[in-house]
Amino acid sequence: MIRQFDQQLEKLRTKIIKMCSLVDEQVDLALKSFNEENIEYAKTVIERDSIVDKYDVKIEKACQKIIALNQPVAMDLRLILSALTINTNLERIGDIAVNLAEAAIEIKKKPDFIDRIPYYKMAATAKQMLKDSIDSLIEANPHLAQKVIKMDDELDNYDKSSYEVLLKIMKESPNNIEAGVTMLIISQQLERIGDHATNIAEDVFFIVEAQMIKHKYEKFLFGEEESEDDDKDINNEEEKPI
Amino acid sequence: MKEVKIKAENLNLFYGQKQALKNISIEIPENKVTAFIGPSGCGKSTFLRVLNRMNDLIDDVRIEGNIIIDGTNIYDKNIDVVNLRKRIGMVFQKSNLFPKSIYENLVYGLKINGIKDKKILDETVERTLIQAALFNEVKDRLNEPALALSGGQQQRVCIARALAVEPEIILMDEPASALDPISTAKIEELIHELKTKYTIVIVTHNMQQAARVSDQTAFFYLGELIEYDKTTKIFTRPTKKQTEDYVTGRFG
Repeated sequence: MIRQFDQQLEKLRTKIIKMCSLVDEQVDLALKSFNEENIEYAKTVIERDSIVDKYDVKIEKACQKIIALNQPVAMDLRLILSALTINTNLERIGDIAVNLAEAAIEIKKKPDFIDRIPYYKMAATAKQMLKDSIDSLIEANPHLAQKVIKMDDELDNYDKSSYEVLLKIMKESPNNIEAGVTMLIISQQLERIGDHATNIAEDVFFIVEAQMIKHKYEKFLFGEEESEDDDKDINNEEEKPI
Repeated sequence: MKEVKIKAENLNLFYGQKQALKNISIEIPENKVTAFIGPSGCGKSTFLRVLNRMNDLIDDVRIEGNIIIDGTNIYDKNIDVVNLRKRIGMVFQKSNLFPKSIYENLVYGLKINGIKDKKILDETVERTLIQAALFNEVKDRLNEPALALSGGQQQRVCIARALAVEPEIILMDEPASALDPISTAKIEELIHELKTKYTIVIVTHNMQQAARVSDQTAFFYLGELIEYDKTTKIFTRPTKKQTEDYVTGRFG
């Protein structure tokens, strides 16, 4: 006999996976719009954002229902709690795809200085992180999740160097400022995709391994017992002199 | 909502001078699980028993209002109560098997209805045990005493026995309250399977159980029906404060 609860979890999983592929497509299309200088793609991305939003609401409602009606515990509880945060991260990535699409419309054509900044590397890394975080979720693969988390530093470094180069480019000529600002936004948005993919990967790790690794939390707890009064720990931290 | 199977209209019930049910009106859908919840003494079990006229057996009970099942008021004078109860099976808190074999328990209802054909009886035993998800566990011991089974198995034999006379409605009064968590889970899954064929009404003290198994939930308090809605709604955003307080464990 299949547990009715398992059927509900499976339905939730299907919804999340559908949202994952939609968001992945949205990012792809937004970047394609910029790369191929085709604003039709960007328009599609903007139009489809309402579907992403609908998934967001549907998934949140499904989680509420499962928690209220089934009182999940252990792995089931971790799955639902993570589904909620993964959902939020996916919705934000959806918004980023819209921001990228708007930037593509704004800039119309790629700036001449594009090869001086690590844009293509950033786009490829952000896309790979997003894809891997989704795959790690589908496969319940903590190793792939860890790979995503490690890639985030790479993306942050690209963003930093992109920022420095863009400042230089803008200082060189006022004509570069408009495109420079747009490229700054694009660079930041790609960096944010990496952050959200990292959050998803951390959640996957939490679901599978039952370990909270966000903000390198386990490191803080290393060798310590978790206190009954968690707030006390936080308060103690705050009281430490800076 | 699906088709209405049971409809109560302004139902009042008195035990002597004391009014136990106050003006209950409710529509119970066909092929769904409807749960009655509420604190002890709220009237939920009394109301369940109204649905198959079990309260007829208690002295000094007076009932006003109508219970309409498939368009017929079951409190009409010309209603054959035995026939009515054949259409409405009931499962109680504690298993109430006869001190007979599993087989004899399951065919009891048919036999008292004059069915003696061995083939029909055998088929009924097999069908009901499969429906009650018990067949594999007891198929080799059908002639052993039913009372030798575990509590959870006995309760499922009770459900199978109720199914033997092919009822349309199954009333369950705390069917899992005396069982361990694994047996409880089996009963709950069973309820979920059975609703495709039967209309099920379950009374439970266990709110989480109501949340897990039912499609509709009715909250009773002090003999009144306070709120009745989809289970999802009752457990995520109830309309009445009393319901909210009860489902969140603030009273009751």
